[in-house]
Amino acid sequence: MPWTTNGGPHSGPLAFPNNPWGNPPPPGNGGGPRTPPPGGEGRGPGNGGRGPGGGWPPGGGGQQGPDLDALIAAAQAWLRKLLPPAGGSGGGLGGGFGGGSSGGGRFGALFNGGNGRLLGLGALALVALWLATGIYRVQPDELGVVLRFGAFTRATPPGLNYHLPWPIEQVALPAVTRINRTDVGYRSDQFVPGTGASLDPKTREMPAESLMLTGDENIIDINFAVFWKIRDVGDFLFNTRNPTLTVKSAAESVMREVIGSTPIQPALTEARARIETGVLARTQAILDQYKAGVEITQVQLQRVDPPAAVIDSFRDVQRANTDADRLRNEAESYRNDIIPRARGEAARLVAEAEGARQAAIAEATGQAQRFNSVLTAYQAAKDVTLKRLYIESMEDLLSHNPATVVDPSLRGILPLLPTGPVPVAAVSPDAQQPPPMAPPPPPQPSLRSIPR
Amino acid sequence: MSKSLPVLLIALVVVLILGSASLFTVSQTEQVLVTQFGEPIRVIETPGLHAKIPFIQTVISFDRRLLDVDIASEEVILGDQRRLIVDSFARFRITNPLRYYQAVGATEAGIRARLSSVVSSSLRRVLGNETLLNVLSAERGRIMGLIRDQVNSEMGGFGVAVDDVRIRRADLPEENTQAILSRMQSERQRIAAQARAEGAEVSARIRADAERDRTVLLADARASADKLRGEGEAQASRTYATAASVDPQFFITWRTLQAYKTVFDTGRSRLVLSPDEGFLNLLKQAPTVGGSP
Repeated sequence: MPWTTNGGPHSGPLAFPNNPWGNPPPPGNGGGPRTPPPGGEGRGPGNGGRGPGGGWPPGGGGQQGPDLDALIAAAQAWLRKLLPPAGGSGGGLGGGFGGGSSGGGRFGALFNGGNGRLLGLGALALVALWLATGIYRVQPDELGVVLRFGAFTRATPPGLNYHLPWPIEQVALPAVTRINRTDVGYRSDQFVPGTGASLDPKTREMPAESLMLTGDENIIDINFAVFWKIRDVGDFLFNTRNPTLTVKSAAESVMREVIGSTPIQPALTEARARIETGVLARTQAILDQYKAGVEITQVQLQRVDPPAAVIDSFRDVQRANTDADRLRNEAESYRNDIIPRARGEAARLVAEAEGARQAAIAEATGQAQRFNSVLTAYQAAKDVTLKRLYIESMEDLLSHNPATVVDPSLRGILPLLPTGPVPVAAVSPDAQQPPPMAPPPPPQPSLRSIPR
Repeated sequence: MSKSLPVLLIALVVVLILGSASLFTVSQTEQVLVTQFGEPIRVIETPGLHAKIPFIQTVISFDRRLLDVDIASEEVILGDQRRLIVDSFARFRITNPLRYYQAVGATEAGIRARLSSVVSSSLRRVLGNETLLNVLSAERGRIMGLIRDQVNSEMGGFGVAVDDVRIRRADLPEENTQAILSRMQSERQRIAAQARAEGAEVSARIRADAERDRTVLLADARASADKLRGEGEAQASRTYATAASVDPQFFITWRTLQAYKTVFDTGRSRLVLSPDEGFLNLLKQAPTVGGSP
């Protein structure tokens, strides 16, 4: 324990075990036939607090335990002495609390007695009430810290406990297991303790707290929350005047220090975890130096943004990056569109050419074979075959085309040929074709040379 | 009983008055200075119940905890002539109540005023030799330690120990803030423009590469196609030549007749023929036995 409880029971001039009422404790039972349990409901848990499991040094509370018992026993004896032996069967304070079965005797004494008796009983009731103010309850998340005349005496665990009434002892009930939350940069009006987060934080911005300079002389808007709990009750209660404010001031100062050595871009993005741990460690170090008895459990960056005035520009950078990605994707989709098509087109061209090659070869082969066959026949009968081939060709040719046979010895017919709308068809094997439909005959070379 | 009651009550009142005047508590968070007619007698740091001589000695209590003092924010000129609005706080504790009492009295207002001015002047002194970059950087811890040591040595006579002086906020003045904001804005605009342009660059590059690849692919394909066609034609020519080499004359005749068939196959050609020769000569002259046309 960093703080001292050297105000031992024997150090002060009027300290315990001297009875504060001024009467020395009687050597034995003052005459009451039975000894009622002195404030039993308060002492049981109190013993537990002084036990080894209390987490407190045995020198503080344990030393004073017997003194307290003796004190209470002395008070009991003193109260019993105030009551006459006639009403003694009713017992002292304990009996009164315990719902004494023989209360009738006491009430009888009350009505039979004089003014003094009445006053005595009134005083007794006042004293009883006064003593009853020492009963207190420690909630499960609390620790009872009992101060006797301002000096730390003992710590009591959760449950029903008893301390000597004011002004002798007082109790403080700090919530030692609760995780407290301190917001910096904003105020959340709604907060559910212990859960660590409120579902609907009605936040109010505190620009003076949240705007800070970054390492590259930019301004950043940071909201963060510090979660802390009491590590050492004694330090927490007795060592700093305003521990909550101290936590906040230290955390705020450290956050600005950490941000002051961080450029804005990492602070906005990937350095968040590093900032959180850095702030936690340094704040803890400062609070340890203050001996504030506080343990920082978490530093949580809530909102890390550029200042509101320039946030649009920052968002535009994100949009620009998205635009760039979009352009790239569009270009890649264009590439993915045209390249396979080109590959297909190339394959088609090659395949067509291959087909053409094979077709040319095949046609040549076929033609050659056909020629060879015709040649064989020709060689067998050259003249006739040649003539037959010629005649068959002419037959085919003239049967498909309109022909005009002109005897050069007949003069005068030639000038009519180009002007006449009706062709001067003497021999027209294609008689079905109507002459007006035929185009005007172009000058044709006559087939004069006939192969022999 | 009824006679002794007033006596008892008076005695009780006297005891109460005497007790309240002679007994006092020292809280766990306090330390007290006992004075006798204004003259300091002793310092009690032990918490608990204590006694003094009633009506002669008086008790002045001082806090034993770590106390906080906020120094109002003020504009400081740094070593590089930059202006900075600095908001700081100090943590101190009263170590010597007697000296403290002699220096500033029993109240805290005195020490707060004194501490504020000392911290403020020390802040100006130390920060006047530092640059803004130092204040923003990890040097800040060293600067704050320097201020704390200066303040501590100056406050030595006041019975207090300054545990810590920390700069909480160090912000630029409003006009500089505006300048920074517009700089941040232009910087972001630059980055955004660059990102967009680079996106366009990448896009154009990808498209151009793709089109080049397409052109090359097609050209290569056409080259191999032409090669294939050439091969086909060459082989066809060889085949024709081989076949024709047996009787080239006949091949030409035969091929010409085939070409006639193809050429005049349309039925669109008007032929003007003379019956003097060839195929039509029988129109003019009747064939003779054994004669040739």
